Amino acid sequence: MKLSSFLKDKILFLLAQTFIIIFLVLMLDVYRISLYARILICMTIVIISIVALAYEYLIRSRYYNRLNKTLESMEQKQYIASLLEEPNFAEAEVLCEILKHVTKAMNDEIASYKISQDEYREYIETWIHEIKIPISCIDLICQNNRNDITKKISEETVRVDSYIEQALYYARSKNVASDYSIRRLSLDSLVKAAVKKHSKQLIGCGAQVKLDSLDYTVYADEKWLDFIIGQIIANSIKYKKDALTLWFSASENQENIILSIKDNGIGISESDLGRVFEKGFTGENGRAFAKSTGIGLYLCKELCNKMYLGLEAQSSVGNGTTIHIIFPKDRQSFLQ
Amino acid sequence: MKLFIIEDDIVLRTELISLLESYNYSCETSDNFKNIITEAVDSNADLILLDINLPYYDGYHVCREIRKISDVPIMVVTSRNNDMDELMSMNLGADDFITKPYNIQILLARIAAILKRTNQKNYSSEVEYKGLTLSMAKSTVYYESKEAELTKNELRILSVLMQNANNIISRDDLMDELWQSDEFVDDNTLTVNVNRLRKKLEEIGAADFIKTKRGQGYMI
Repeated sequence: MKLSSFLKDKILFLLAQTFIIIFLVLMLDVYRISLYARILICMTIVIISIVALAYEYLIRSRYYNRLNKTLESMEQKQYIASLLEEPNFAEAEVLCEILKHVTKAMNDEIASYKISQDEYREYIETWIHEIKIPISCIDLICQNNRNDITKKISEETVRVDSYIEQALYYARSKNVASDYSIRRLSLDSLVKAAVKKHSKQLIGCGAQVKLDSLDYTVYADEKWLDFIIGQIIANSIKYKKDALTLWFSASENQENIILSIKDNGIGISESDLGRVFEKGFTGENGRAFAKSTGIGLYLCKELCNKMYLGLEAQSSVGNGTTIHIIFPKDRQSFLQ
Repeated sequence: MKLFIIEDDIVLRTELISLLESYNYSCETSDNFKNIITEAVDSNADLILLDINLPYYDGYHVCREIRKISDVPIMVVTSRNNDMDELMSMNLGADDFITKPYNIQILLARIAAILKRTNQKNYSSEVEYKGLTLSMAKSTVYYESKEAELTKNELRILSVLMQNANNIISRDDLMDELWQSDEFVDDNTLTVNVNRLRKKLEEIGAADFIKTKRGQGYMI
């Protein structure tokens, strides 16, 4: 609270005081009271007024300054009402009452959205678990009746399943609480598991898989990382040029362990490269080659961010794409 | 080997049973979910496949109750895919945990692994067809008192073909089988492996054992 604005507020009081003093001087003059006595009386009134005003100002400014400081230091400012000090002057009491009501109403509103979002997320998770049962049924029926038609149906169910998995991880990535568990993982077995999971599609398109120096241990959530690698593999299949070759390799520098997944696909143009991790971004390739939703890489980035991992793309048109997943070492030493 | 399947989705159960039966497992099941625990234990199965979402009692309860009275291996098969479920299952004494929709090869491999671990004495690791015997444990094939040693890949290929005798197995399926054991071979390697396998079989007298079905795959 500034002094000037305080005084501006008190302008009527100051004018009234001035008027009273002038009036007093004139009145006392009429009664022929000596000049010194008049000055003394006036000075007394002025000093008393100033002291009263100063006291008033101090109380207010101290209260509001403290409040401001608290507000600044808060991360979630909507909870300010619960940190209000009991004020000792009337205006602030009114203001505090209003503030309490408003923040309560707002927090109730936020909570109701939170609850409905959580419920929706829970519903999605349950739905996903339920839809997996008929998918398993279709899959088993196809396995038990192997022919060309069921083989095609099987391939389609793999696609359905991958979309469902994407939805599951989308729901999970939006969760405020982090429901993942960071564990010690062998990069080698992780990559092999992801390749095996996508073996049918990879074999179907005649892909070659090459693994090189994956003998590292990293810290991450196994399922999330499996999903991320899966999405990258799926993208490589989607945007392949001729016969697909996938290289998985890992390297280490002072700060990081880096898993690189390289393909020999069509690549990404320079103008698109910076935006591939944006939500809903499809780019030239997405429009021209395959139906793209712009969700896959965005989700990968979100999940990586949640686990404090880096995710980078490196590519040029016609020369394939390399995706780097970066595991910071300082975080590992912290977790050890 | 006898498996007991606790699963309330009838279609899934029927299909799972017919799949497992085609791999020479005998299967038993029950709709009496109120007394499923005694039913499962009384069946004297070698392995119990257990779903989590069940009528009356959930799979965790069933798992815990079975563990109280029996050491039969339990494999939890569920569509719920989170760490909590996996942890719960393992803590309650389940031997393995697999999520739906499962990769069938992985399911079969895990079942075989558990059975092998728990029934080491009477686990038969030999497959026989038309006089040709394949010993999985020794990685050797016998035909009329002659024998030949097989490499890991050859063993895998032959065992898949023999387990699916009279059915055509596509090259892609064979390759997938090899990939499941960390051998990410390409098309050429598969051809080389199959040719070598044929040569070895010919050397012990089983010529033309593996037939080529043009454009479709191989068959025994």
